[in-house]
Amino acid sequence: MLLQANETFWLWQFLGRLHPLLVHFPIGLLCVALLLEILDWKRKSGALRDAISILTWVGAFSAVFAVVFGLMLADSEDASGQTFNIHKWSGIATMTLTVVALFALKAKNRAIFRSLLFCTVFGVSFAGHYGAMLTHGDDYLSSVLPGGAGGTKEPEGETEADFVLTNNGALNPQQVQELNIEVRTILAHNCYSCHSETKTKGDLRLDSKDAIMKGGEDGVVVIPNHPDKSELIRRISLPKGDKEAMPTKGKRLSEREIKVLTYWIEKGALWPDGKQKSIYRVAELEPRMPTVPAPTGDLTKPVDLFVNAYFQKNKIAWKPVVDDRTYIRRVYLDVIGLLPPPEKISAFIADSRPDKREILAKELLSRNDDYAQHWMTFWNDALRNDYSGTGYITGGRFDITKWLYTSLQDNKPYNFFVKELISPDKASEGFIKGIKWRGTINSSQRTEMQAAQNVAQVMLGLNLKCASCHDSFISDWKLADSYAFANIFADTLLEINRCDKPTGKIAGTKILFPELGEISVNASTEKRLRQLADFLVQPKDGRLYRTVSNRVWAQLLGRGIVEPVDAMDNVPWSEDLLDWLASDFVANGYDMKKLIFTIVTSKTYQLPSTSVKEAQDIMANNYKFTGMVRKRLSAEQFSDAISVAFSPMYADSAIVYKRLPEDIKPKLPFARAALVKNDPFLTSLGRPNRETVSTSRTSQANLLQALELTNGSKFTQTLKEGAKNWKTKYPTSDSLVTELYQKALGRTPLPKEIAAAKKILGPVPSEEGIQDLVWAIALVPEFQLIY
Amino acid sequence: MKSQWNRREFLQHASAATLAALAAGAPVANLLSSCKGKSGSNSTADTVILLWMAGGMAHTETFDPKLYTPYERDMEGNRVLSTFKSLPTKLDGIHFSDGLQSIGNVMDKGTLIRSYVAADMGHILHSRHQYHWHTCYEPPQTVAAPHLGSWIAKELGPKNPVIPAFVDIGQRFTVGEAEELKAFHTAGFLGNEFGPFFIPDPSQGLDSVRPPVGMDAKRFERRNQLYNELINNSPVGEFGSDYQRESLKRSMEQAYALLNSPESKAFDLSTEPKKSYDTYNTGKFGLGCLLARRLTEQGARFISVTTEYEPFKGWDTHENGHTRLEEMKKQIDGPVAQLIKDLDEKGLLDRTMIVLASEFSRDMMVEGRPDQKVLEQVAQPDILSDLKFYGMHRHFTDGCSMLMFGGGIKKGFVYGKTADERPCKTIENPVKIDGIHQTIYHALGIAPDTQYEIEKRPFYTTPDGKGKPVMELLS
Repeated sequence: MLLQANETFWLWQFLGRLHPLLVHFPIGLLCVALLLEILDWKRKSGALRDAISILTWVGAFSAVFAVVFGLMLADSEDASGQTFNIHKWSGIATMTLTVVALFALKAKNRAIFRSLLFCTVFGVSFAGHYGAMLTHGDDYLSSVLPGGAGGTKEPEGETEADFVLTNNGALNPQQVQELNIEVRTILAHNCYSCHSETKTKGDLRLDSKDAIMKGGEDGVVVIPNHPDKSELIRRISLPKGDKEAMPTKGKRLSEREIKVLTYWIEKGALWPDGKQKSIYRVAELEPRMPTVPAPTGDLTKPVDLFVNAYFQKNKIAWKPVVDDRTYIRRVYLDVIGLLPPPEKISAFIADSRPDKREILAKELLSRNDDYAQHWMTFWNDALRNDYSGTGYITGGRFDITKWLYTSLQDNKPYNFFVKELISPDKASEGFIKGIKWRGTINSSQRTEMQAAQNVAQVMLGLNLKCASCHDSFISDWKLADSYAFANIFADTLLEINRCDKPTGKIAGTKILFPELGEISVNASTEKRLRQLADFLVQPKDGRLYRTVSNRVWAQLLGRGIVEPVDAMDNVPWSEDLLDWLASDFVANGYDMKKLIFTIVTSKTYQLPSTSVKEAQDIMANNYKFTGMVRKRLSAEQFSDAISVAFSPMYADSAIVYKRLPEDIKPKLPFARAALVKNDPFLTSLGRPNRETVSTSRTSQANLLQALELTNGSKFTQTLKEGAKNWKTKYPTSDSLVTELYQKALGRTPLPKEIAAAKKILGPVPSEEGIQDLVWAIALVPEFQLIY
Repeated sequence: MKSQWNRREFLQHASAATLAALAAGAPVANLLSSCKGKSGSNSTADTVILLWMAGGMAHTETFDPKLYTPYERDMEGNRVLSTFKSLPTKLDGIHFSDGLQSIGNVMDKGTLIRSYVAADMGHILHSRHQYHWHTCYEPPQTVAAPHLGSWIAKELGPKNPVIPAFVDIGQRFTVGEAEELKAFHTAGFLGNEFGPFFIPDPSQGLDSVRPPVGMDAKRFERRNQLYNELINNSPVGEFGSDYQRESLKRSMEQAYALLNSPESKAFDLSTEPKKSYDTYNTGKFGLGCLLARRLTEQGARFISVTTEYEPFKGWDTHENGHTRLEEMKKQIDGPVAQLIKDLDEKGLLDRTMIVLASEFSRDMMVEGRPDQKVLEQVAQPDILSDLKFYGMHRHFTDGCSMLMFGGGIKKGFVYGKTADERPCKTIENPVKIDGIHQTIYHALGIAPDTQYEIEKRPFYTTPDGKGKPVMELLS
């Protein structure tokens, strides 16, 4: 089918394309015929009748051909749509009218012929107009009518400054502000890429009041009160393709955008005094403790009550929570990263206490080492801490493994955790020290700037990377802000480099949010870092605590309340929920485990898992929360799951003991993958190389990964070794299959599954059969997903 | 072998499974929003083979020889520009250093660039310059920069669905500076999917694309059947068409198709006629060239073959430069020339671009570049009291040679020039890395302003999207 769809015979296609040429015959001929007919009628002469007759005949025939060719064209180009349909049917109707008119002519019924001819001409014009819309666009004709009757329709109700189109009087200060924001937004989206600090074409900048008023190399571009004389308006209004039209690249400004700019200039190009309001959404810095909605039905926990409010607003119904088997698997993997052992599963199911899920969560959270060994992975990614990697070879990098492990093991309160990273001792300095490569490096990548970027990203969920090279186009952060923040980490103040070129300017020292406190520029680096650490962890820095609460939520529920998790200025799907979690976290003494407990014991967490058709839907702006988004086992979880359910993936010797606390050996149930060096196996399953901060992993499978699992040496080796042991341990295939299903999938196999397994195992399991069975089980989604 | 699969062949060839797998790749790609203009030209190449001279190949000892000064005990180092004789090539007036006659004889099929200028990054670190060459970005970077091959894999996908789009032959990661090498052998933010498929040893290439060692086809088939049975019978996780489940299934199907495909035979060098095999067999690099040719015949997209970087090995000559270069030339001369000839004879050279390059050059006297010398790293005396000091041992960034063949590259053309006296630096038509990358992209029909939004900012194939193809190199 697919192959044939486009295979239209070339001649039909060619004739079809003659349609636009041919249609002009009936239009022209019939119009002239009507004109002559009217003349003849007025003069009552009949002298033109021969001419009219010829014109009508030729006109009618050409109309028939035009329709036939038109249908061929439509067929070969797969035309469709409302405009097309109107054009098609009006064309066919007109052709029919012409033919009928011809009969009237032949029948010598002049009056009927005349009126039919009149209708025909109307029909030709009507069909012709729609034809033109097809080829030239909807507003081709109407857009040049006075008053701009046509034009692109703006979506209604979305714009804030709609008074723009109606208000004729003076604007109040609030309206001036709104109008100004809208103007700056339009300029930012359409013009900044060529007319701002970084790139200044034609010597024209449009990113500040003074710059706009100053104009460019060709003079002023805005003359207040006179949009008609303002070059800016002229250039953006020129038709596409005109040499002077702006923007030269990208899409044209919409009609409404032009209107807003015109109106703004007409009103005097107003610019409010005082601090400029941002055109970007900026999240509140301060914490907020929203009122918890009253308990209703069986919902009593604040998380559930906030989600309930969200559900009501979005007309989402609560579903029954998952069964015990699903819950225990989920919470084991989420809290300690391991599969639940079969005996724990059956005991949990048999347990009749009503609060057994809370008890289980508490028990898991109290397993300090298992917990630390699991969360190492998350924090190693975020703090780009690894046991091998670039920089170590030349002493340009320090690891913080020991400190991190102990901090997690001790459940160090998050405020201290942050403080020790920012104002570090030897054990935790690796994070802000960054990675130093030998040689000269780009000034936006000096280690002080790395520290600024990484602290901003990880702790505050904001992106300074753009602004460490030039003023950002995607936020209000300026180059000077980044340097002032980086200077806090610097032994000597850094000279500002714009796009790697020195500017001769030096910024002071400033926290990105100066309301948190003032850093003494003259203090020693150590003292400055202490100040910074103290200021950042204050309870009034709501941003710090929202960021971490959101990260933990995202780890457990598969999607943050705000996404991406590093862009905390984005809109949360429930502001109340996020604000409450962050405030509750602070109120509970910055207790990470308490935060996790609050989440995993909520009814919300226990909802059936959900997913989406396409990965990008998870990040979509219109995402609706309806339950945990199914997650793929991380590389470490997968590896550990194999180790627990079947046979160890790593030998004890693979553990990076040297980097870990000395007394760790007895606390390791087996060689956990979070504590080994990265290798091709883990890389293929998504463990990042931690050169840069990494705060989320992709949940999608790919070919290289599948190849690694299908014929990679690491997994194959484990299967071989494990099979040997299992063969001696389980003499019959039945016992082996049952045990394997219990351990790997947490359930007994179905008869169908036993039969399938036995086909490959035989009645007495062979080593090869065991390898193949374990391989197959490890690759099914039921094993690989947290559902 | 046609240069492009037409749609019918493609559909017949790729099973439903592999097509689905291709589709499965889409979501990752879509997570990143891209923005690109029209390339404005039709492509002239479908496949790229990068022949990587790892460790710094001295231009005056290879493709840009200068005055030969034979060794004498206690001679002044400054007198030595080349330690080999020059011999004529197929091109009028163009000479190569002794030992590269075979390549000299195919120069009518390609272009010689004598003016590649490496970046100035201060104190020399090989892996850092290699990172820069392969990604076009100087490390460190705030986001993980993708390898040239990953960009190509991302933009064009595999040429034949069962051959990975980016194949990397010859580099092991167990050597010194391994971590630094890993840092650029990656698809970076584009995602694992577009990363390299590693074949560290070309003679073992088949192992990467066949069922695990010791598993026969029957067992492999049975194992896969079991997997399918389990997946279809699983009582848990009837998840409908969610993307994780689908992508898992599809990737497995794709792997299965690859491991079972007739094309995977291409990875098996033992099926190559002996005569041809022997011509290529100068060692790992030579066999890598052979594997590259065989994969190109089956529809590879991007292949990198390296002489392998290992500190102080291969082209990284801190001493004994002269004697070691004799060895290196033996390694590359025959296979490189044969690769060009074979592809030409099979009619593949027209649509296959071959690039031979190194991260920088070497000189006896200058570390870095003449106007910007950097910290000395080589114990090179001014007076050569021993043969081991006879050779180009310092790291020189101001003039390097490159070769390019096929895929729209001019034939029998020489571009750029270095001075004939020390410092033998670039004096005409300097070429930089972004120009090279853009030339390759141009030939492949990848728009020069191709970019993806990562962390809300655009990341281009070449920094700030500024690189321009060197149009003079293209016919």
